[in-house]
Amino acid sequence: MSLIDDFLARWREYRAPGYYEEFDYHWTMTVDLDRCTGCEACVTACQAENNTPIVGEEAIARGRHMQWMRIERYWEGEYPDVKLRAIPMFCQHCDAAPCETVCPVSATYHNQDGLNAQIYNRCIGTRSCAVYCPYEVRYFNYNNHHWDAPLEQQLNPDVSVREKGVMEKCTFCIQRIRQAKDAAKDDGRRRVQDGEVQPACVQTCPTEALVFGDRKDPESGVSQMLGNERAYTVLEELNTDPSVVYLKKVEADA
Amino acid sequence: MPNVDRRHFLKLVGAGGVGAGAGFMLSESRKHPVEHLVPYPVPPEEFSPGIATWYNSVCSMCSAGCGISVRTREGRAKKIEGNPAHPVSQGRLCALGQSGLQALYNPDRIAGPLVRAGRRGELEFDPTTWEESLAELANQLELMRTAGRGGGVALLSGGVRGHLASLLELFMGWLGSDRLLHYDFNHPATLYAANERFFGESELPYYDIENSRYVLSFGADFIGHWLSPVHHGLGFGRSRQARDGIRGRFVQIEPRMSLTGAAADEWIAASPGTEGILALGIARRIVDQGGYQGEDLDAWQAALDAYAPESVAEQTGVAADTVARLADSFAETQPGLAIGGGATGNHSNGVDALVAVNALNHLVGNIGVEGGVIFNPPPAFGPTASRQASLARMLELAEDARAGRIELLIVSNANPVFNLPEAAGFAEALAEIPQIVSLSSFLDETTAQADLILPSNTYLESWGDDTPAPGVGFRVGAVSQPVVEPLYDTRATGDIVLELAHRMGLDLAFPWPNMEEYLKYSWREVWSSGTPDPAIPDFDTFWTSVVRAGVWGDDTRAPSGEFAPGANVVEGIGVAAPEFAGAEGEYPFALHPYLSNALHDGRGANLPWMQELPDALTGVVYGTWVEVNPVTAEQLGVQEGDVVAIESPAGSIEAPVLVYPAIMPGVVAMPIGQGHEQYGRYAHEHGVNPINVLAAQTEPDTGALAWAATRVRLVPTGGREDLVKVSGEARELGREIVQIAAVGAGAGAGGAANARLNSIPITVVNT
Repeated sequence: MSLIDDFLARWREYRAPGYYEEFDYHWTMTVDLDRCTGCEACVTACQAENNTPIVGEEAIARGRHMQWMRIERYWEGEYPDVKLRAIPMFCQHCDAAPCETVCPVSATYHNQDGLNAQIYNRCIGTRSCAVYCPYEVRYFNYNNHHWDAPLEQQLNPDVSVREKGVMEKCTFCIQRIRQAKDAAKDDGRRRVQDGEVQPACVQTCPTEALVFGDRKDPESGVSQMLGNERAYTVLEELNTDPSVVYLKKVEADA
Repeated sequence: MPNVDRRHFLKLVGAGGVGAGAGFMLSESRKHPVEHLVPYPVPPEEFSPGIATWYNSVCSMCSAGCGISVRTREGRAKKIEGNPAHPVSQGRLCALGQSGLQALYNPDRIAGPLVRAGRRGELEFDPTTWEESLAELANQLELMRTAGRGGGVALLSGGVRGHLASLLELFMGWLGSDRLLHYDFNHPATLYAANERFFGESELPYYDIENSRYVLSFGADFIGHWLSPVHHGLGFGRSRQARDGIRGRFVQIEPRMSLTGAAADEWIAASPGTEGILALGIARRIVDQGGYQGEDLDAWQAALDAYAPESVAEQTGVAADTVARLADSFAETQPGLAIGGGATGNHSNGVDALVAVNALNHLVGNIGVEGGVIFNPPPAFGPTASRQASLARMLELAEDARAGRIELLIVSNANPVFNLPEAAGFAEALAEIPQIVSLSSFLDETTAQADLILPSNTYLESWGDDTPAPGVGFRVGAVSQPVVEPLYDTRATGDIVLELAHRMGLDLAFPWPNMEEYLKYSWREVWSSGTPDPAIPDFDTFWTSVVRAGVWGDDTRAPSGEFAPGANVVEGIGVAAPEFAGAEGEYPFALHPYLSNALHDGRGANLPWMQELPDALTGVVYGTWVEVNPVTAEQLGVQEGDVVAIESPAGSIEAPVLVYPAIMPGVVAMPIGQGHEQYGRYAHEHGVNPINVLAAQTEPDTGALAWAATRVRLVPTGGREDLVKVSGEARELGREIVQIAAVGAGAGAGGAANARLNSIPITVVNT
């Protein structure tokens, strides 16, 4: 077999739908846009949980903000018939993630739970993944960040602080998933039950727009949401197969 | 985390069984009082390195009173989350609440007592000791008290409730001073007054958004910052998608689209200050259509006579058929809810306008019913009489200061120099007060004028308690406990007051050694007021369980009686045209200042997370801007980033233009919160403070600042200032990122326009 054929065979195998079915979990989040108000409680909750830095006005002006969760806002129509539509945008944990295939050092990969994970120690900062990501949810550390003392006392000890030259992004709060798994193991259970783990954004959302859970558990809250007729994925035409599923906003034809 | 049913949450905790209910955090939620340094090889009890400990407490970042759970590791606070057992927050929290950590760990906190060294306002302070400063202050207070000059002491605090408020009352009572004032820029004084007048209720009611099918909101940004945004958010989310087959609708009426307006099904711009007139236009239509059949129908017809559709349409700028449509939908879709606040209430006609909104609820019978307006019982504890100061009261205080009637001013957790218009002259009045003592944790604009700074703990280091306002329809009390040891040489406000009282020799009146003991003493009364429970044999068990749960209270609402407005209330209904400071010819735009959910009234400006939180509607960080309609921008010949002078009869400030698609052409809007001259490195030198150009215009009934009643003109300066934004393309350009499930005209029976506005059935298909 030629090298190319070998590559293509592996590629097909890698891209075969459902390859994750042999694993334990398939973590999924749903975002009900009919509930989301764009209040950004999730943005701050994520920043608090994941030690994302305070970058300063100048860095933001250069497009170097680091919040893993952002609210995108789109205007529709003109005054007075004008609408503002908000959508939380964060790593979609694609099952066929473009960022994973492009990383020259495999710093970003798919883990056994269906998460798109990032190994900070392996990342060499080519930023290719950010270019390939159609959702633009990967953030690069252009600088070392610091926290004016004593703000560093707030940093979450369960999450590493990233350094200059490293790419980072939403992890679905993998540290919380790990803790939930450990707790389940300590209890002598094999599986984490629905509701035992929630990322920081889901936990804080005042309108309960976000639901997180294991798609492989048909009884889980998130599986129930996936059956909703309003469910869709963003940029579906790209076949990235995201693990974040949005529920369409309902608008009356007023 | 389990969902806690609001109706049952309190059965589980407190009164029902010790700590059984609030799930995972209760087992470790009791603070162990660490009084000495303990070496790590012998860790204190309930403390394991690497294992998080959770403490339940109460958020103090705004006045809503959400219950919080603070995650700590190795004695440091790491994360603030909502307390699932608390009926207001139910495990949820807003962005500002999350940022409480940055108040605690703020690098610009005042680390110990300071005494002024240079001239006032020069920010030269020398460190001093608590011993020395408290002794001197207590001595001074005692001399004033015994000489009968205690009335010369004024205590100005931010909004406080619960037993800290009682303690301040007691302390000022012993001093013989009536000058105990709470000042909160955002205090809904006109809403209290309107409810008092129409409902005869002194407490804010519970607005049951969750169970409402049609919400008509007049200017109330209830999802962004108004009253209790987290709880309203819960209600909004559930009204939308948590009820089988029913989706609640809501319409927002305001001149500039707020976060709430963006979430609404329909956003309607009415001319600023005419929202009350619109409400009466709707009321008139309801009465005309026979939607109201009360005995006092004649009185209503007479009161509403002046609000014929054409005249209402002319005054408000809202088409007559829209008014009719809103009225018909509101009357047909039960239960519905009309709420009013924000700019609607902070106008020259604010109280009348909010009374008009209340009247709508009465006309369609939405008072005391699920999904409508539900009255709250009196707070479980704390003073009942409000000490909230209006602008008029603050002007009185300033006048007293100028006349030399104030010898000593104690400021606690309030920043009137920033939050009052310059036109009020408060900063100048402060200069006339011989001594100013600040109990603030931060060097804000008011504290910068202080002679003595006795820095308070932040709320995460203090004992306290709270009764949320608005409540949730039943009695709720919450205890806040210190989650970490104080970081610096600071003391809790309550402890400072008690210490002063002790040093003044008032031990008999203040027999409690500290705030914690005072709380325990006071909560004995709360305990004995509840139903006896065999599971809770003594007070200590009760107290432990309340501190663990962070909340205590009833779990059912008392059935509401029939409601009827008092005598002459209906006859008095009417909303005058709004009065602005500044003539329309000279000042063509109405200035619409608004609070943002991140910076609030400016208190969030020293929190870097809040500075870097993109504005919810524009995506701007670290700045102030002035929003203008696209057409207006074209007429003025300005684009985004062009700096204009915003000139009012009271002053002038400069800010870059932001072309905002959802604002009326005759209105310009500015966010409040930036423009701090002090308040630490993160707040300092960002943006401008629009409060400074507001005229000291008041609502006549309450004396409240009518902060939406100033007119301005915009003068391009030729300068440029690029706004720093976290946002990309403002339009979707066919990418279908936010997809819409359109519910068209066919959805309602017959497809009539009115049917469209009724509740929309949603089919949820489960696999």
